[in-house]
Amino acid sequence: MNTGIYGQLLDLAAGIFLLAAVLTLWRRDLAAIVRIFAAQGMALAAIALLLGLHEHRWDLVAVAAGIAVLRVGVLPHLMRRALAAGAAAGGETRETQPLVNVAASLLTAAALTLLAYAAARPLVRLAPSPATRALPVGIAVVLIGFFTLVTRRRALSQVVGFLLLDNGITATAFLATSGVPLIVELGVSFDLLLAVLVLQILTTRMRVAFGGTDIDDLRELHD
Amino acid sequence: MNAVGPALALAAALAGAGSVAGLVTPPRWRAAAVGACTTGVGAAGLAAGVAALGGTRWSAALPGLLPLAGVQLAVDALSGLFMAVAGGVIAAVGVYGIGYARPTGHGGHLVAGAAGPAHGVLSRGAQAVLPLFAVTLLLVPAASSVSTFLLLWELMALTSLLLVCAEHRERASVREAGTWYAVMTHLGLVLLLAGLALYAARAGGETFAALRAGAGAMSPAARGTVFVLTATAFASKAGMVPLHAWLPRAHPEAPSHVSALMSAAMVNLGAYGIIRVGFDLLGGGPRWWWLLVLAAGALSAVYGILQAAMASDLKRLLAYSTSENLGLVLVGVGAAGLFAAAGNQALAALALTAAMLHVINHSAFKALLFCAAGSVLRATGLRDLDALGGLRARMPATAGLFAVGALGAVALPPGNGFVSEWLLLQSLIHGLAVPGTLAAVVLPVAVAAIALSAGLAAAVFVKALGVGFFALPRSPRAAGAVEAPPAMLAGMGLLAACCVALALVPGTLADGLTHATAAAGLRGSGTALTENGLQVRLARIPALLSPLWVAVALAAGVLAVSALTGVVARRRRRRQARLWDCGGGAPTARMAYTATSFAEPLQRVFDDVLAPEQDVDVTPVRESAYLVERVRFQRRIPDRIEHRVYRPVLDALTGVGTLARRLATGSVHRYLGYGFFGLVTLLVALAMAQ
Repeated sequence: MNTGIYGQLLDLAAGIFLLAAVLTLWRRDLAAIVRIFAAQGMALAAIALLLGLHEHRWDLVAVAAGIAVLRVGVLPHLMRRALAAGAAAGGETRETQPLVNVAASLLTAAALTLLAYAAARPLVRLAPSPATRALPVGIAVVLIGFFTLVTRRRALSQVVGFLLLDNGITATAFLATSGVPLIVELGVSFDLLLAVLVLQILTTRMRVAFGGTDIDDLRELHD
Repeated sequence: MNAVGPALALAAALAGAGSVAGLVTPPRWRAAAVGACTTGVGAAGLAAGVAALGGTRWSAALPGLLPLAGVQLAVDALSGLFMAVAGGVIAAVGVYGIGYARPTGHGGHLVAGAAGPAHGVLSRGAQAVLPLFAVTLLLVPAASSVSTFLLLWELMALTSLLLVCAEHRERASVREAGTWYAVMTHLGLVLLLAGLALYAARAGGETFAALRAGAGAMSPAARGTVFVLTATAFASKAGMVPLHAWLPRAHPEAPSHVSALMSAAMVNLGAYGIIRVGFDLLGGGPRWWWLLVLAAGALSAVYGILQAAMASDLKRLLAYSTSENLGLVLVGVGAAGLFAAAGNQALAALALTAAMLHVINHSAFKALLFCAAGSVLRATGLRDLDALGGLRARMPATAGLFAVGALGAVALPPGNGFVSEWLLLQSLIHGLAVPGTLAAVVLPVAVAAIALSAGLAAAVFVKALGVGFFALPRSPRAAGAVEAPPAMLAGMGLLAACCVALALVPGTLADGLTHATAAAGLRGSGTALTENGLQVRLARIPALLSPLWVAVALAAGVLAVSALTGVVARRRRRRQARLWDCGGGAPTARMAYTATSFAEPLQRVFDDVLAPEQDVDVTPVRESAYLVERVRFQRRIPDRIEHRVYRPVLDALTGVGTLARRLATGSVHRYLGYGFFGLVTLLVALAMAQ
């Protein structure tokens, strides 16, 4: 593949990846957040695919396909099902009261992205290439995912935050090392699937026990 | 042929076998199997130690045994001395432990072992750990690299901690003692780790040979830091004031044979560490190091024996006496360092010899005393001297053996403690020849401290023996005591034989002690003691002691006096009549001296030091304030140093802990926020640092 086109495509995919993370902070409708998450999974798969094609490593292409199946297909499907079950039980479908409001969240996301670029400078300097120049995006998504976890109340938003965090880690791994081995990615994906299943069960149980999924209702469980 | 290596290998193998035996044998045979293996471990260690004391050197490197550093072992005469002491104590205590741990059918506190699930001292865990503890006691002096030493040191601390906690289901105080011991010993380990790691980094190697070679090139500040850190850790293990707080808790609460091992073998290794690091590895140092050691030793000697005088718990009394005796040992070590720093090698060798001889003597009599206290505890379930009494008639053998140990502990002829204290005083008094005002001020004060502690020790052990074993029993449990089983008496008999031998013919140890002082790095000093038949003669100083003749003369004197009184008394006619008793009737147990009443005059003398707390609570009759219904009097003598030093620290830590609980409100968001905030702060710091 032409190096110039490869660089531009990689930047585009990374841009979509970051934009999707920011959009999850902007939207309050949980169904829309799930759609954005699926789009982000697509961008991640594209990053892996581009790296694989550029370096002529077919195992990376297989990893990209696996990522697409898991993060565009399976995980959003699971989340939609949880959402539908919640809506049927009369639960909420919107992130009504985040701890930090939307405008402040977006500003914070911008600050976190700046921070990621600032902190990643020495890494980029080590081996400048299109992939490492996109590396701060991965770190920024990790931070934004973490921020989502800290500020969003609904259990489903928490799941999305957790998955954003993981997407960010995966992207960082791809961009920093030019692709992780297949077996590592398989293990990570399997862990992720299990975590989401567990969280889904937890959400259901919470709804049964408390009638809502605001995780601050768990406050009384501490010792 | 070098006997040290095979003997140590045998000890390790027997310890493994004993540990397995403790796990798999049924309770009925468990104590016997473990005891036999432990005795074997001790005998092998004694053989290795005696061979090394004879001047044999042995070293081995086992690079495959541990990852990264491997295991380095080396034995010289200094290691051999401590190994032989530990081995002897372990062998005797192993025999004793067979009888001590065996379940009893009557009255003792060990009834729990007889029926139902066996806890405490006979439990599988406690019995399996005992041989391991024994073998670490032997191997710590043999370690010859920093990593091996720290590993064995920590193993020793952990196994002894498990043994201290053996009876945790029976008494809540055991758990408290275990906590104190765990915290103190690990704080000591942290200091030791820091000190030795700094030393290894500066010296450029972690084997003792590399440390020895690199010590000369280190800056005085680094050497001083290493010495202070390691000496503090070792002093805490030796129970020096103010780091002694664990000792009077852990020793009484451990099973008695474990107390004997800890008090007679484990605390010695604190002294070993100071000698090894200070003299051998660092090659001596400036005066202030040794002045610190001497001051800590003198302070502990006086404070320890003073607390022992106030204690009415028999095992607590013995534990404080351990603090005193190790204090005397460190006075000797500190004096040796002072003399070596002043360039007087002969006096330094004499002081170090005295310290080492006192280590041996203390181990012999303290193991015997703890075993005898264990025998009392097993027979009556009591440690409180106020409730004992009258045991001489019921447990004559135990009483006799306790008397032999007490005689050693009071530092009067013909006891074995006398010889080493005499040597120590000789070295200090002749040390006045060393020029300088420092020596002229410090040494007389040290002599005074030793004299004071010796005087108090006499009162302490008169109290322990007289109040505990003579007069009438002051409680039904003391009245129902029976003699200990033969295995326990055999173990105590071995220790008593050692005490008597040490008291009568200490001159036989002269060669071994000379080798040990030479191995400690006081080279070119020649011999401090010369062996001359049954005398102890000092090599460079005109002084001579013949303990055997002292004992013979004393025995002859006692015989003569008793014969004379017999003759005088026989001349008069005898008439049997009741003593005039002021109309009070026959004397009862309530009239006898208790431990508290015996110690009361001493407590008045040292009132300002001890600061006892007393409480008088008068309850008047409801109708009239002038009529008293009940008066309650309470007096406690808390450990003042502990009160002043430890309490504020503990309170501050508790306060911090309570404040820290406010951080954990239960909100998941807040917990996540902590992580997020930490990560962002770290990244900001990284970005700024570029």
